[in-house]
Amino acid sequence: MTMALVTDAVEVRYGARCAVRATSLALETSGFVALVGPNGAGKSSLLKALAGLASHTGTITWQGRALGALAARERARTIAYLAQASTVHWPLCARDVVTLGRLAHGHYGMAPSAADREAVEWALTQTATTELADRSISALSVGERARVLLARALAVRAPVLIVDEPIAMLDPFHQLEIMGVLARYARGADGGAPALVVAVLHDLTLAARFCGRVLLMTDGCVVEDGAPAATLSADNVRRHYHVEPFVAQHEGEPVIVPWRSLRGAPGAHD
Amino acid sequence: MSAATGTGRHWRLCAMLGVLALVAAALSLLLGRSSGGPTLGLGGPELESVILREIRLPRTLLALLVGGTLGLCGAALQGLLRNPLAEPGLLGASSGAALGAVLVFYFGLAGGDSLLLPLGAVLGSLLSLALLYALAGKSSDLLTVVLAGIAINAFTAALTSLVLNFAPSPYAALEILFWMLGSLADRSLVHVWLALPLMIPGWLLVIAAARGLDALTLGEETAASLGFDPRRTQWLVVTGTALAVGGAVAVTGVVGFIGLVVPHLLRPWVGHHPSRLLLPSFLGGALLATLADGAIRLMPPGPELKLGVVTALLGAPFFLRLVISSRNVAVSRDE
Repeated sequence: MTMALVTDAVEVRYGARCAVRATSLALETSGFVALVGPNGAGKSSLLKALAGLASHTGTITWQGRALGALAARERARTIAYLAQASTVHWPLCARDVVTLGRLAHGHYGMAPSAADREAVEWALTQTATTELADRSISALSVGERARVLLARALAVRAPVLIVDEPIAMLDPFHQLEIMGVLARYARGADGGAPALVVAVLHDLTLAARFCGRVLLMTDGCVVEDGAPAATLSADNVRRHYHVEPFVAQHEGEPVIVPWRSLRGAPGAHD
Repeated sequence: MSAATGTGRHWRLCAMLGVLALVAAALSLLLGRSSGGPTLGLGGPELESVILREIRLPRTLLALLVGGTLGLCGAALQGLLRNPLAEPGLLGASSGAALGAVLVFYFGLAGGDSLLLPLGAVLGSLLSLALLYALAGKSSDLLTVVLAGIAINAFTAALTSLVLNFAPSPYAALEILFWMLGSLADRSLVHVWLALPLMIPGWLLVIAAARGLDALTLGEETAASLGFDPRRTQWLVVTGTALAVGGAVAVTGVVGFIGLVVPHLLRPWVGHHPSRLLLPSFLGGALLATLADGAIRLMPPGPELKLGVVTALLGAPFFLRLVISSRNVAVSRDE
C-alpha cells in the first residue's frame, strides 16, 4: 500500500497556543482511519491542516506534491471535508445541498452537468436520502440532515474524505448507518474508487469495529497509531482518557465502553 | 429531477421578469407628466424625438439600471452575509455618495454645470469604500466589515447633518434634502454615461462571486474546502456593491428598500439558491423601480413624489412583515 497523504513535522498554532505539535504521519491511499482522543487534543486542528484549511508549519504532501502547491480547485477535488456540526444557511432542497459538493468540479450553480447529476444521485443513494431529495433541508430531522450533509461531501467523489465528528448528536441507528456509509466509501463499494477516509470519533467501539487504523491524539500529539486493538487497549484508554473501560467481544468484534472516570492528575493511576 | 427543473424554473423566471421589465419600460417611455397631470403619448411629431431622447429615455434607462443595481447588489450582500435583512446601503457606499453630493450643493457648485453633482457623489462613494477597507483592514471577519460599514454610515450621516446645519440658506438646505430623497426626474443621458462606468464593473465583480456565494451556503470553512476562498468572495461582493451602488446613488440620490425587498420576494422562486437569485433580482429590481417611477408620473397634479419616498413607503410595511414572520419562525423553532 503506497502512502498518499503524508505530514512532516506539522504544527498548528493559534496565537501562542500550539494545537498540533510536530506531527508526522503517513496515510495510505485507501482505508478508514479513526482519529480519537480527549477534547482539546487537537484532532479538529489536525483535520483542518490535512484538508488545507488551517495555516501550519511543516509540510503536507499528497502523492508527493505539497498540498499548498495545489490550486484551490484541485485541492478541493482531492480532499473533501465535512465540518463538525455543519450548517446550511439557506433552506435549499436536499438535492441542491448535495449538488453544492460539485462546486469543487467547477459546476456552476445554474446548470449541473451529466457527471454532476450522476455523482449527486450516487451520493443520495449511498446515504439513503434519495426520498428526502426534494424536501427542504430545514424541514429534515437532525439525523436526516447529517446524512444529506454527508452526501454533500461524498458527491465531491474525492480520493480523500475528511470528516469531523460525523456521528455526534445522532441516535444509535444513524450512527451505525453513517459509519457504514463511510466504511463503504473507503472500500470503494458501489461503483466508487477506494478512498482514504479520516474521521474524528468519540465512540471507541464504533472506531474499533469500523476502522482499520486508529490514531490516538492527546495534547497536540499523535501518541498511538496502529490497529484498533493495539491503539484502543484498555491500558491506553486508561492512560489517555482517564477512564476505566469495559472491554469485551461480541460476535467477534470489540466492545469498548467507558465505564468509570479515573479521577486525579493525569498519570496518577499508572 | 429537481436540480434540472430548478434550473429551468430559474430561466423561466428570468424570462418572465425580463419581459415584464421591458413592457414596463415601454409604457414608461409613453407616459408623461405635465402641469395638468399624467399624459400619454409623445406630444406630437415635432416634439417626439426631443421628449423621448432628452426626457423619457434617460429616466427609463436610469430606472432600469438603478433598480437592477440595487436588486442585484442586495441579493449578493444577503448571500454574502447569509442574512435576508442585508441591503446595499449597509456598507456605507450610498451614504458616502450622498455626502459627496451634499458637499457639492453646499459649495454652490450644483447649479449650472450639473455634472459636478454626480461626480462629487461618485467620489464620495469611492472614498467611503477606501475608508471601509482602511477600517476593516485585512480582517476576513465579516462582522468587522459590517461594523465598519455601520460606522461609516453613522459618520457620513453626521457630516451630512453638519453640512445641512451650515447650509447657506433655507432654500439650499431644502434643495439638498430633496436631492437626498432620491429621484429620476430631470436626468439626462449624460447621467447614464456617468453611472455606467461604475455600475458595469460593479455588476461584473458581483456576478463573479456567484459560485462563491453558493459555496458560502455551507459556511466559510466548507466553502474554502470546496475551493472558494471566502475572503475572495467577500472582496468581490463588497467592492462590486460599493462601485455599482455608488454609481447609482450618484445620479439618483438614495433609493431604499429595493435592494432589500426584491431579493427577499424572489428567493423562494429560485429554491433559495444564492447564485440563481442574482439575475432575477437584477430584473426584478429594474421592474420595481420602473413601476414605482411610472406610478409617480400617474399621480394627480402637484409636487412630484420622490422615488425614494415611494420605495420607502412600499418597503417599510414589507420590512415590518418580514420582522413579524421571522419572529413567528423563531417562536415555532423554540417550541
